[in-house]
Amino acid sequence: MSHHDHHSDNEHSGSSHHFILPDKLAYKIAGALLFFTFITVWIGQFDFGKWNFFVAMLIATVKGSLVALFFMGLKYDKKENTVIMIGSLLFFAIFMALTFTDLLFRQPMNINPALLAPPKGASQFKRAWVSSPELLKHGEELFKMQCVSCHGDRGAGDGVAAAALNPKPRNFTLDADWVNGRKPSQVFETLTKGVNAMPSFGSLSLDDRWSLVHYVLALGPDAPKDTDADLVKVGIDPTKEDGGLGGGDKSIPIDTAIDLMAE
Amino acid sequence: MSSTPAHAHHHAHHFKSADHEFESAKQGMWIFLLTEVLFFSGLFVAFGVFRALYPDMFHEAHKMLDWRMGATNTVILITSSLTMAMAVSSVQTGKTTRAVWSLVFTLLLACGFLVVKYFEYSQKIHHGLLPGALFNSEHLTHPKAPLFFSIYFGSTGLHAFHVICGMGVIAWVLKRTANGEFGPNYYTPVEMVGLYWHFVDLVWIYLFPLLYLVG
Repeated sequence: MSHHDHHSDNEHSGSSHHFILPDKLAYKIAGALLFFTFITVWIGQFDFGKWNFFVAMLIATVKGSLVALFFMGLKYDKKENTVIMIGSLLFFAIFMALTFTDLLFRQPMNINPALLAPPKGASQFKRAWVSSPELLKHGEELFKMQCVSCHGDRGAGDGVAAAALNPKPRNFTLDADWVNGRKPSQVFETLTKGVNAMPSFGSLSLDDRWSLVHYVLALGPDAPKDTDADLVKVGIDPTKEDGGLGGGDKSIPIDTAIDLMAE
Repeated sequence: MSSTPAHAHHHAHHFKSADHEFESAKQGMWIFLLTEVLFFSGLFVAFGVFRALYPDMFHEAHKMLDWRMGATNTVILITSSLTMAMAVSSVQTGKTTRAVWSLVFTLLLACGFLVVKYFEYSQKIHHGLLPGALFNSEHLTHPKAPLFFSIYFGSTGLHAFHVICGMGVIAWVLKRTANGEFGPNYYTPVEMVGLYWHFVDLVWIYLFPLLYLVG
């Protein structure tokens, strides 16, 4: 349907070359919008993992374009108005992209101010270096808050920030190439001191750290057990229920201390 | 209700012609819509950031929303966009009666949207699925779950506010159309209200899948 067809049946002086949306076309556009609504709802029942999001946004963008081009008349309008519309989306894209640039390159420590909170007082768990359902549950909660941005929901090392990191975050589901080994005490050491791109999580309470250790080890195949000597090496006295530390290691890594002072 | 063309509209003296006035008004409207995109973009960015940080929580929390209500409202808004487009083309072709009825239907559909929203919000309030400290639900255990409902109420609330404003301006052009103030020679306010209403539809087209379907 060309511009000029409508020019002829649109004989008014004031706004002579304005496009008038024919009813037939309006019905077609509304029909297409309803059709795509049905499609996006129907497709939603299938699980394509991450692709669900992209498919839903693609369909929404097709629908949005139909509204903008025909109902809002951008197709027939002066190009300036399209430039304004696209400009607004560009500003939005800059807003989104720069925010995510920051999010991707933040150290996990800075994402969660909870990490800077002083360690909780006395140990809640007895013999926290031995795994238990309570410790695993607590570890899962902490993992969801502190670790998923790099290590991913399932601990496969595929979090949103993983793309920006080299070497890649540890894949906890595999028993291969663990830098300091896979004994609980060795993972505890890694968590406390940090390794490669991972910062130290030594500011977490002992309970929190042990909970995380047991949780991430449970994500993969069975891990080797600690001997008493292994525990002593990381400062734990296995003969005492609280590990001989009187309820929590009060020391914090230098980096964390500097951050705290800077605040 | 008269179907005779509207009386001649005299363009303001700082415009070269009525056409110039119309095009300037429309450009102004588009610039306003640009600021509207930016208005909503903050909420979309917040949605994106929190979804990236807590993907599992978002997935669990979105299941608490009723997609049937969201889908019903999508159908309602798309239909209202159609009736709005028909109101504009009717005014442009001098069919005043048809324009008035199209605007009445658009208003009724907007009311329908708010009625569905009312039931939806009541359900959420009843189950304690509320933003921030108001959150009080046993169904979701993730400590950050209230965030999802802050985003949900923030974005759908801002959108509902736009629907209410839209109803106000639709009622205004409905009254003026019924008075025979618009016709093929002058229909600027009707078309501008149309652009605003389609924009409200456009925002919902994104909110619906993001909140109700993908989560």
